[in-house]
Amino acid sequence: MRISNGSSSPTTSPDPSSSSLVPRYSPATTIDSDGISLSKTETNGCTTNGTATNGIAPPQIARVQPPWPSLYKDSPIDREEFVRLVVQSLRDVGYTESARTLEAESGYTLESGIVAEFRRAVIEGEWEELEAALLQLGVQNEDDLQTTRFLISQQKYLELLEARQLTAALYVLRNELAPLNYDSDRLHLLSSLMMCSEEDLLSNAKWDGARGSSRQQLLADLQLYQRNACLYHNTTAPLSLYSDHECDRTQFPSLTTYILAEHADEVWHIKWSHDGRYLASASKDKSAIVWRIGPPSESGNRDCTPEQVFRDHKYEVSCLAWSLDDSILLTSAENIVKIWNVKSGVCIREVDSRVGPDPCPVSSLQWLPDNSGFVSGSMDRRIIFWDRDGKRTDTWGPTSIRITDMAISPDGSRLVATGMLHNPALASATPSTSSLNLPNGTSSNPSTLTKRIVIYDMHTKQEEASIPQSGELTSVQISSDSQYALINRSVDEVHLWDLNSKRMVRRYMGHQQFRHVIRSCFGGANESFIVSGSEDGKVYIWHRDSCALLEALPGHGQGSVNTVAWNPQDEGMFASCSDDCTIRIWEALPPGYTRDVESTSEGQEPWRSNSNGASWRTNGGSGTDMID
Amino acid sequence: MGMTHREYLWGDRIYGCSKCHTHLAAIESMVSRAFTGQHGRAYLFDKVVNVITGGPAERTMTTGLHTVRDIYCCKCGTTLGWKYDRAYETSQRYKEGKFILERNLLVDVEI
Repeated sequence: MRISNGSSSPTTSPDPSSSSLVPRYSPATTIDSDGISLSKTETNGCTTNGTATNGIAPPQIARVQPPWPSLYKDSPIDREEFVRLVVQSLRDVGYTESARTLEAESGYTLESGIVAEFRRAVIEGEWEELEAALLQLGVQNEDDLQTTRFLISQQKYLELLEARQLTAALYVLRNELAPLNYDSDRLHLLSSLMMCSEEDLLSNAKWDGARGSSRQQLLADLQLYQRNACLYHNTTAPLSLYSDHECDRTQFPSLTTYILAEHADEVWHIKWSHDGRYLASASKDKSAIVWRIGPPSESGNRDCTPEQVFRDHKYEVSCLAWSLDDSILLTSAENIVKIWNVKSGVCIREVDSRVGPDPCPVSSLQWLPDNSGFVSGSMDRRIIFWDRDGKRTDTWGPTSIRITDMAISPDGSRLVATGMLHNPALASATPSTSSLNLPNGTSSNPSTLTKRIVIYDMHTKQEEASIPQSGELTSVQISSDSQYALINRSVDEVHLWDLNSKRMVRRYMGHQQFRHVIRSCFGGANESFIVSGSEDGKVYIWHRDSCALLEALPGHGQGSVNTVAWNPQDEGMFASCSDDCTIRIWEALPPGYTRDVESTSEGQEPWRSNSNGASWRTNGGSGTDMID
Repeated sequence: MGMTHREYLWGDRIYGCSKCHTHLAAIESMVSRAFTGQHGRAYLFDKVVNVITGGPAERTMTTGLHTVRDIYCCKCGTTLGWKYDRAYETSQRYKEGKFILERNLLVDVEI
């Protein structure tokens, strides 16, 4: 989609009520190549039907104006935008009459007067007017303005050279092109063209002369490019059809809205329930808490309270998993997995994942997407499948790796496990099994590649690939389209892997990870963000496709932010947990607040909650208000 | 601070904590078997993992004055032995930085 109006800002919409219905003829109209004709006195933004060839007045077109602003009665699309795009498409194909009829009937015109003026000036080569028109268009961006000026001056220079007006060309070169400081290589090339004869000029500059299509080409080049991907774009609702859209950074969740502080020691893991209403947390204090995160009331507050507290673990709780209907929560402490009924708070069953005499901790619990039960992966290299009652149905192992984390793709086709070889000597002995490109910077010494990413095909239960890695792999998450896996790797990296080609496709850096288990997740409306915890106490958010670091959110106290989790049902909320014993809920700024950089809560002490654990943080640095 | 996974060793024979079977040392890092701890035989190792060291204490042993730190299993907290920080007799200097693990608090663990 494009609106080629030569400026980066959307054109001002003409006032529909003021445009005249009657098509006007102006005496000295010229018909240019794209069929638009305007006189210089045109100011109200209405294009005229300028086909003066047959002298017959076209019939008057009645305005049709439905009472609602959207396209159909309840559609989210704006009618004006849609009609203007249709007019543009018709013009592009060549149906100029239809375009004019539509413009007259709807009252919307494609271009405002200034834009049409600009277009005409380019086509006719009237450079002075062009400069004036450029200023009138109100191009905001300095870089775009510079580019525009350079392109215009370049065209002017080349035309002067072609006409052998060398002094004028030199003047343009010195006084217009050079000060712009735009592209010095191009500038040198242009200067060298002064020496050429006319034929050489045309070929050297790859330019086909003033009479050719170069002016149209210039017009095309002047369409200042629109950003492809809006960096902060975070909604699925259809927005303006003009792709010159950029999400406001204030709509992005970057503010702590609630601090949940009930744990007595570091919080290591959090997981949202599938319906997004509950958050489970696992802590070093040997307990797991299920928090209810309520919907916002009229005053805007949510009710965030601990719904259940599951104590009774012999060791620290390390893993969590929700059943698909959120009625069951699994927790694991070392090798013991407990199955809890969330409603009643009772432990239904306790199972021991131990195989052999040595108990080994369970490092990952995942509920199976087909709801048949769950899987546990542990450091004794076993992957055990259990049914809903806690009976083992299958045991894979001993595999080649001690599993540090595991994920199952939502379509149930793959299981991705990360871990370390139990025998480090195998690192140099085993050739890599899949055709892969080791990421840049991987040590070429094979004996350091003692970690593996292992991808299993769930249907055949065989290893699809085993990818050698150096550095600790602490977390795996699979995207909801089952195509990509997000893996945290020490030191200081998060990788995005394509599961089909078995290659790393993105690398995200900027956070800190060295010793601790830090987890990351996909986030946002189309999983377009990557969020990760970090050992410096900040939450890091990157744009998924461009790898740009969007936010490094401070706020948690001393220690690592261990896990982050995005609410699966609310695209504007995520949670993070930390060694400061708290969990923070992050949301977008409420309307009316602006983000004041200085007052963001650096190094805040762990918050002791009031009765509902809620707190607001306003800007202005005046501390916080407790809203009850 | 933060969650960490325990370390796992590889070797011909791995010794672990008798209570919780956490990996402690491999036989390849054993230096000597000829030590005596509070409960009987003890071994000297140069590399031991998954232990927490306590504060320094000066003890006079059969071989002289040493500065030692007690070591505890990181999972279950049992005192397993000690680590030599400093030895005050030159003939005993080879022990500095090495660990003593009591034999009857160790158990063979599967690799």
